[in-house]
Amino acid sequence: MENLDYARLQMAFTLGFHIIFACIGMVMPFFMVVSHYKYLKTRNPVYKKLTKSWLKGVAIFFVTGAVSGTALSFELGMLWPEFMKHAGPIIGMPFSLEGAAFFVEAIALGFYLYGWDKLPEKFHWFTGIIIGVSGVASGILVVSANGWMNAPSGFDYINGEFTNIDPVKAFLNPAWFTQALHMTLAAFVATSFGVAGIHAYQIYKNRNVDLHKKAFKITIIIGTVAAFLQPISGDISAKDVAERQPVKLAALEAHFETQKGAPLYIGGIVDVEKQKVTHKIAIPKALSFLAFGDFDAEVKGLNDFPKEEHPPVAIVHYAFQIMVGLGVVLMLAGLIYLVSLKKKNWEKNKYYWLLFVLMAPLGFVAIEAGWVVTEVGRQPWIIHQIMLTKDAVTPMPGMKYSFYFYLCMYSLLAVTVTWLMNRQIKALNQNPN
Amino acid sequence: MLYVVLFFLLFSLLLYVMLGGADFGAGIVELFASRKNRPHTRDIIYRVIGPVWEANHIWLIIMLVILWVAFPAYFNIMVVYLHIPLTLVLLGITIRGVAFVFRHYDAVIDQSQFWYNWLFRIGSFITPVFLGLSFGALISGKIITLEAYPDSNFYDFFIHPWLNLFGLLVGLFYAALCAFLAATLLIGESEGVARNHFSKSSAIFTITLVLLGFVLLFYGYLNDIKFVRDFIENPIAILSVVISGILLFPLWKFIRAQRRIASRNMAGIQVVLILFAAIVTHFPYFIITADKEISLLENMAPQATITNLGWMLIIGGAVILPGLFHLMKSFKMIKVLEKS
Repeated sequence: MENLDYARLQMAFTLGFHIIFACIGMVMPFFMVVSHYKYLKTRNPVYKKLTKSWLKGVAIFFVTGAVSGTALSFELGMLWPEFMKHAGPIIGMPFSLEGAAFFVEAIALGFYLYGWDKLPEKFHWFTGIIIGVSGVASGILVVSANGWMNAPSGFDYINGEFTNIDPVKAFLNPAWFTQALHMTLAAFVATSFGVAGIHAYQIYKNRNVDLHKKAFKITIIIGTVAAFLQPISGDISAKDVAERQPVKLAALEAHFETQKGAPLYIGGIVDVEKQKVTHKIAIPKALSFLAFGDFDAEVKGLNDFPKEEHPPVAIVHYAFQIMVGLGVVLMLAGLIYLVSLKKKNWEKNKYYWLLFVLMAPLGFVAIEAGWVVTEVGRQPWIIHQIMLTKDAVTPMPGMKYSFYFYLCMYSLLAVTVTWLMNRQIKALNQNPN
Repeated sequence: MLYVVLFFLLFSLLLYVMLGGADFGAGIVELFASRKNRPHTRDIIYRVIGPVWEANHIWLIIMLVILWVAFPAYFNIMVVYLHIPLTLVLLGITIRGVAFVFRHYDAVIDQSQFWYNWLFRIGSFITPVFLGLSFGALISGKIITLEAYPDSNFYDFFIHPWLNLFGLLVGLFYAALCAFLAATLLIGESEGVARNHFSKSSAIFTITLVLLGFVLLFYGYLNDIKFVRDFIENPIAILSVVISGILLFPLWKFIRAQRRIASRNMAGIQVVLILFAAIVTHFPYFIITADKEISLLENMAPQATITNLGWMLIIGGAVILPGLFHLMKSFKMIKVLEKS
């Protein structure tokens, strides 16, 4: 593998790592303030205990997200100096706003963490809301910068020079809204089902059931709502990609020949050499309908584009299948929860809880797969149709070692954080005060 | 608007050097504390720095964003040629940040505290050293660019510019400055044994700082480092440093008189003067490579970007600064001494 491949691997790995922590850091504050609100209403000490233990989780995830985010803001430049040199001045606006939002979040977290019994109750609770809102704002802003890479706008590209820069237009690029909506909902789905699964496991093991049931209820409701909204946002995204990045749409469907009334492939094994997808389920005309809202619309195939502009088709196709498949599974899990509201005796069944334990990691797998779709699907471009990824990479050789260095560091960090969370939960069950 | 952007760049640099520095310094003070002094150091650091340390480090990100948005060519040189030391800075920031949180938020207190403590202390020490190494590399005239010297090897491009004695001296100087700031801050938040300990370490770090300052200037002068030569020949820079040195006497007086706020202000002014001296010497030529001096203001981002960034910074500042001030007021100035 070349330097470029290692640089890409490192970027993928560190982003993939950061996304998990960022999502949890973004969504968990909302669970925390809901539980805190219930405590203020009912004065039931169980809610206070739950709030405080979630808060410890938020603090640990926030700091891990913050340091990995700091690392990323360096890495963007260190791995892709040519990209940042030109893109920096154009997409500076979301990044500078993100800096501000992140700052607000850190300030609010400082108040919330250290403000118990020191600040007025309502103000203290309100600082928790600010943590959540500014966290979500940060996420949206960063995704908007990524949207610009998919839908570059706010400049004229003349003879290899970026001129007439309009930072606001670049910020509000055509992809920002669809991507930000999809990602925010995804963060809510993944984190809610993730946290719900952890509490379901404790109920399954019959530990401190009263507290864990309260925790499960708060998280699963938020998760279910988000899971049902996600397909709508997915549909908006698909139509947007179909229009702006037809080659990406063709890759994620492994759709080789241009065709009217194109079928939708579910699953399947891609053979790029023979341009075939075997072992699939094909739904006639469905792709045309989903992409353009018309059963007979023409969907461009990969062969309509020069070969050197094709993204790695198989990876993108598989990742897309995984993302959509898991999204559907989580929606069904949400449905099971809704039904269980009527059928009270389900809760007594151990397997009911085990089911939600199994759902815990799926949302995060779907998020990673989704990012593979959007990032690998954009290749070979770093800025769609403007700059190639290989022209942006650092001139420094030896990225191999850098990649392994980050791999070790972040793996160690992930193991430590998991271990710490486990200790938090154990401590929560041991001291019933 | 360019002035607004420059103001925020220097402002966040200053705040990062001071607040982030006091933060690193706290870990350095703990690193060099004797075994019996460590427990109280650990507790006081948590109380004083806990609520604000995350905010302190965001100044680095603000600085970084301003650099890459408004001064992309400058940022480009830093990230290409200082790839390795900046990676090590990141390693340090990561280690000490997570270790600090882990040691205070781990639900179980056991053997693992030993690791958290050491990682926090060592991380706090190496991070400012590597920051200093990186800054030293920018001003030492040792960076050679791929365009100017296409035939050089990996060592010449990516290692030699930062890994040298001058860089190390700059790094140690910054680490000592951090420890000096932290010790001064901690004196005001402690009493009894702890107070004596911090007073002693404050004195030791002040002496180290002054000595390192002299060695740095001397070494730079003897080795013909342009930045140091220009620094010594610049009357304003020298005057600032001399005033900063003289202010040590009132600082000691305030510390002995237990005037916390006055002593903090004094230490702050001293750091501002040192930073001012370094900036005034070479503004705006902060990158000195082997063959040329590069101005911050050349190859800037276009006007539209600068204007936009300026407004974003003004809006962001209007939201953040009052909140931050309130946060510091609420927690940092806990009235420990008045209580007793």
